[in-house]
Amino acid sequence: MIFLTYIPLGLLALLLWTLVRKSAYKAVPCFFAYTAFAVAADVTRFLVHNHRHPYYAAYWFTEAGYDLLGILVMYEVLRTVLGNLTRAWWARLIFPAVLVAGVGISLARADVVPSRLGGLLFYIVVGEIAVRFVQVFVFAGLVTLVPLLGLRWRQYPFGVATGFGLYATVMLLTTTKFSDFGTRFKFLWGVTSLVAYSLAVLIWIWFFSVPQKAETPGSELSAPSPGDLKQYKDALRRMR
Amino acid sequence: MFSIIFTWLIVAWGALSCIYMLRCAWSRFPKRDVDVDDVIPFLYPVDISLAESLLDPATEFEFRWKLGPPQFREAQRKRMRLFLELTRRMAHNSKVLVEYADSEKNRQDPRRASLASTLQEKAIEVRLYSLLTGIKLRFWLLLRTDIWNAKPVLAHLRTAGEIDGLQTYSALKVAAAAAFMQLPPDELDSLTRNL
Repeated sequence: MIFLTYIPLGLLALLLWTLVRKSAYKAVPCFFAYTAFAVAADVTRFLVHNHRHPYYAAYWFTEAGYDLLGILVMYEVLRTVLGNLTRAWWARLIFPAVLVAGVGISLARADVVPSRLGGLLFYIVVGEIAVRFVQVFVFAGLVTLVPLLGLRWRQYPFGVATGFGLYATVMLLTTTKFSDFGTRFKFLWGVTSLVAYSLAVLIWIWFFSVPQKAETPGSELSAPSPGDLKQYKDALRRMR
Repeated sequence: MFSIIFTWLIVAWGALSCIYMLRCAWSRFPKRDVDVDDVIPFLYPVDISLAESLLDPATEFEFRWKLGPPQFREAQRKRMRLFLELTRRMAHNSKVLVEYADSEKNRQDPRRASLASTLQEKAIEVRLYSLLTGIKLRFWLLLRTDIWNAKPVLAHLRTAGEIDGLQTYSALKVAAAAAFMQLPPDELDSLTRNL
């Protein structure tokens, strides 16, 4: 049974290999860092899973790392997508606004559903739920925006957002139900989380296994021929 | 209580998005390859000079000066509807061009791929402008803001989201002319007329 919980580790290793093979670390460096961290974190957890105290320390330390990197990845996704769309000043405010909304709802939720955890662990859990909210906001926002602007989904940042969006939606749903049902729900919560995360990693592997349409660098372009230029000037003249 | 309601709303939004993505994946993200034949007949002509005159503050001032308040309100609503139609056409044309540019970006020829990238960039900017302006215009028309003495000024719609609509549309036309340079002159003429 313990080995089943490490299925995502195998998938993450495959994802890391795919990212390296496709040189995707250039396009999405934060996501690459997240994947490398996730592999290292799962290996550490696996190595210490028989030792209670080291496992406890490793678990919470890596959870805090996941929170931080999860936020950085969402920042990277929004920066890439919005940077290509608009240079408006308010576009820079979208990520802080989403972050504040996520943290606000997470804190309000923690007030309604009190946690047994205290101190730093409480803040790690609050941070984790805030990250889930941010991930759902970004994913659902992109799903709304993409058809409106006629963009294509097969781009790395959209793939990253889709995987996180699916996982975060399922986790928020199960966490909310967990607070209703209590500890009886713990096994189902664990299984759901495992399946959802494995699905998210499979989505990432699928997106990253197909090369992203690369932007053509201008330096490689040859100058248009005089004939082409004349045709182009004629077309412009007719337009005016 | 509110946090629970918010949580459920966000979860529902996320779940709907997942269902949408599942549907897209099921149909394998259906986007046909668009070629030149799928572009020119599908474009709607946009009269840029008409748009210029609608967004001209001097013209608006003249209307305000010459007409009484009820007549001006009526004229302004007509002008808003007209500009809404123009932005709809701009949005439609840019969508057609985004799809075409997407197909062109797959080509091996780096120059054509680069021109397609520029065309797509401009088309997305126009679409964003049309979207923001359309929302604003519909809001004005729906709430009849003119009745509450908050007279909407059409000239303010020249830019939306820091995108100058008419300038960007002109840039889109230039980018389209560059991307369709390989067309025979008569087809290029149709493109320039329809855009």
